[in-house]
Amino acid sequence: MMAAVSIFSERPRADAILPGMIRASGHIRCRFTANPRRTEASELYEAGGYRMKFPKGLNCEGVIINTGGGMAGGDALNVDISLDSHAKAVVSTQSAEKIYRAQNEASSASIQLSLAEQSQLAWLPQETLLYSGAKLHRCFRADMASNAILSLFEGVIFGRGAMGEQITEGSFRDSWRIRRGARLVFADEIALDGHMADRLNRPAIGAGARAVATFLYIAPDAERRLDEARAALETSACECGASAWNGMLIARFVAVDPDALRQSATRFLNQFRAVPVPRVWQC
Amino acid sequence: MIMGIRIVIMDIHMIMVIVMVVITMMIIMTTLMVTMIMPLLMFMTKIAITIMIMHMGIHTLTNMIEGNALPLLVWLSPSFPVGAFAYSHALEWAVEAGDISDMESCKAWIADVIEFGSGKTDAILLTQSWYAAMKGDFMSLQELSELAIALQPSSERHLEAVTQGNAFIAASLAAWPSDRLNILKQKVDSDIVYPIAVGVAAAGFNIPLQNTVESFLLCFVANLVSSVIRLGPLGQTNGQKTIASLMPLVQNMANKVVHSKLSDIGNSAFRSDIASLQHETQYTRLFRS
Repeated sequence: MMAAVSIFSERPRADAILPGMIRASGHIRCRFTANPRRTEASELYEAGGYRMKFPKGLNCEGVIINTGGGMAGGDALNVDISLDSHAKAVVSTQSAEKIYRAQNEASSASIQLSLAEQSQLAWLPQETLLYSGAKLHRCFRADMASNAILSLFEGVIFGRGAMGEQITEGSFRDSWRIRRGARLVFADEIALDGHMADRLNRPAIGAGARAVATFLYIAPDAERRLDEARAALETSACECGASAWNGMLIARFVAVDPDALRQSATRFLNQFRAVPVPRVWQC
Repeated sequence: MIMGIRIVIMDIHMIMVIVMVVITMMIIMTTLMVTMIMPLLMFMTKIAITIMIMHMGIHTLTNMIEGNALPLLVWLSPSFPVGAFAYSHALEWAVEAGDISDMESCKAWIADVIEFGSGKTDAILLTQSWYAAMKGDFMSLQELSELAIALQPSSERHLEAVTQGNAFIAASLAAWPSDRLNILKQKVDSDIVYPIAVGVAAAGFNIPLQNTVESFLLCFVANLVSSVIRLGPLGQTNGQKTIASLMPLVQNMANKVVHSKLSDIGNSAFRSDIASLQHETQYTRLFRS
């Protein structure tokens, strides 16, 4: 964590146990521009322990790296990705973002995606892993042109089950707003507070689940591809389902075993997108 | 002398001509009045009277109800023409999958939906729309309406929310009109979700918020239990026991929600949302959601 500390933290917080100046404040701002041959990152700003790398490949792929390894309470992250018209990019993360136990304040993450005319973005970060006692407040905003294409996958794992850890107290807030051609088409407000395991064990919440994920596909052909999406979910090892309306397609997953969710999601993404998931997913 | 007589004669002649012209014009004008202007005037008076009567009707109704929660019994009853009986809120899938098989499992599932899922979300949307309508803040209502539609987690839940909302607005405008509901319909030209329609209708008659939220949640519970009864796992008596056992939770939620802000919306009923996705491909179905 210390590696991610920035002494120029923008938002010192008076009530924190640690003074604000030694909180991490990460920034990634990247702009993708379409050249005649391929899309390239035309602007990049990295700060607060976060880096973005572009592995060589056929397509333009950006990988966000947190050199601090995770987020502690009070840490903040701002990701701002914008695509110029006709740009095509995939953005992922190098590893699961670990959210450590928070002493007092929550970790906060803000993700902003902007897609210009005819651009295509696949936002495929690896899962967010909440340690027991973690607090994460996340804000996800996307603004897209009506003929742009956005695919995104976001997964959350509650507790390190493989380490025998049972997640207890914690707080997870996730606020989503997606605007397409200035119209709000998708919103989600997730709140899971208190004793996480008890809550996740309830029947209409998780029935013992420790991982949830959402896949969204917003594109002119989204509704026509519902049968394809359902076919790609058929062999899934976890509970899942798909639906399409108002120009978008959604698939949701919930699983007791986070590994089963990852396997099902990987198979689904490979089949539905007809391209393999970013290589970092397989590491 | 002769000249003088001539002038007098000519004057009399001219006066007679002028009188004739005036009489002719008056006849023409009267004919015009009778044939064209009068019907127009009568038509306009008729419209004015109709509008006056309609307004008197609205205001008589408003004055009669004013703050009385009684209409909620009708608006939220299964007989109000919104087609509530056609929606199971994905409970049909929960029964199919075995998540709901008896009274205990039915109660637990519905409790989650009320406390952590769409029951809570809808109660907050109703509260916010009630306050906005009371203040006459129709800009907020429009934004609230857009958000409420975007928050629907699946195609079938979207259908459930907007079909009932639009039907509620149509039935209320016809039989239970109020100024606030009229303005809502004029300002928001897109679909309106069910809880917002109920919130604004209640505000239209100054029905207290607490009564409205409690009734809305209790009737939601009763409608869900009714769908489980029709699907088999519960008998009528156990159905009523389930509803009664959820009363404390409904009241507790209503007490909290009346003081809530829009930012208090927070859903974690993941399996309830996934059930609505799975219901879409369920082989045999009684319900539209």
